Amino acid sequence: MDKPDPTRNTTTRTKKESLSKEERQKQLEFQKEAVVHLNSLYNYALHLTMNPSDAEDLVQETYLKAYRFFNSFERGTNCKAWLFKILKNNYINRFRKNSKEPGKVDYDLIKDFYHSIKDVQNDTSEAESDYFHSLLHEEVHQALHSLPEEFREVIQLCDIDGFTYEEIANMVESPIGTVRSRLYRGRKLLREQLEGYAKKYGFNTDKDH
Amino acid sequence: MSAAVDCELRVKEEEGFLLHLSECKECRDEFEDAKKTKMIIKEKIVQFKAPQSLFNSIMELTSMSSLEH
Repeated sequence: MDKPDPTRNTTTRTKKESLSKEERQKQLEFQKEAVVHLNSLYNYALHLTMNPSDAEDLVQETYLKAYRFFNSFERGTNCKAWLFKILKNNYINRFRKNSKEPGKVDYDLIKDFYHSIKDVQNDTSEAESDYFHSLLHEEVHQALHSLPEEFREVIQLCDIDGFTYEEIANMVESPIGTVRSRLYRGRKLLREQLEGYAKKYGFNTDKDH
Repeated sequence: MSAAVDCELRVKEEEGFLLHLSECKECRDEFEDAKKTKMIIKEKIVQFKAPQSLFNSIMELTSMSSLEH
């Protein structure tokens, strides 16, 4: 991708050193701006692929690409949003290429996940016993993943990753109004799902009680 | 409604929205429900920590590509 540098042929040893210093600075900046979002990116990839090893590959590819094109990242804008967009594009390309079916959910995998990290999470609000608090992580996860992709996506980007509507609109390449209405409808669907779980446990979700 | 939950309303819109809420119980309830749903997702969706090996390999990738150039 890089254009040949005409000065490169005449590079002296000192020039070479200063170049690598520049590179090192880029590296440091990249770590500060981009690598700090590793966890968010990894979780986003997990939600997309539902498979830890695919998620790792996707994140790696994303960072490699991001590093290569780091100069085109507009300083001062949201780096996390930039990375998410790259990851999403990678994901689309990869699944198109492999013609693998995206959105296939492995519920056992989710379950295993949650069990393996269960103890890490501390539930501070255990005392409250309404259905809200009785919901299990994996149930919310399942409910979220039962939503149509376009709803799940905006809810995730908004509620989990904290992006603004404008950033989300840019990522999903739809107008802000569409993002708004998808959020609205998605949350409504989700609420119905969650209330279904609540009823299963015998909690009364009727507000007047 | 979703814009209100996410604090994405413009000042004018928000004024109108709050005024309406004060008069309409149905929307008040729905607003509460919508806020609750957002909170459930925020609290209940577990964020995993990326594996250390992934972190290491990304650090390696970025330093390797600096050697290539």
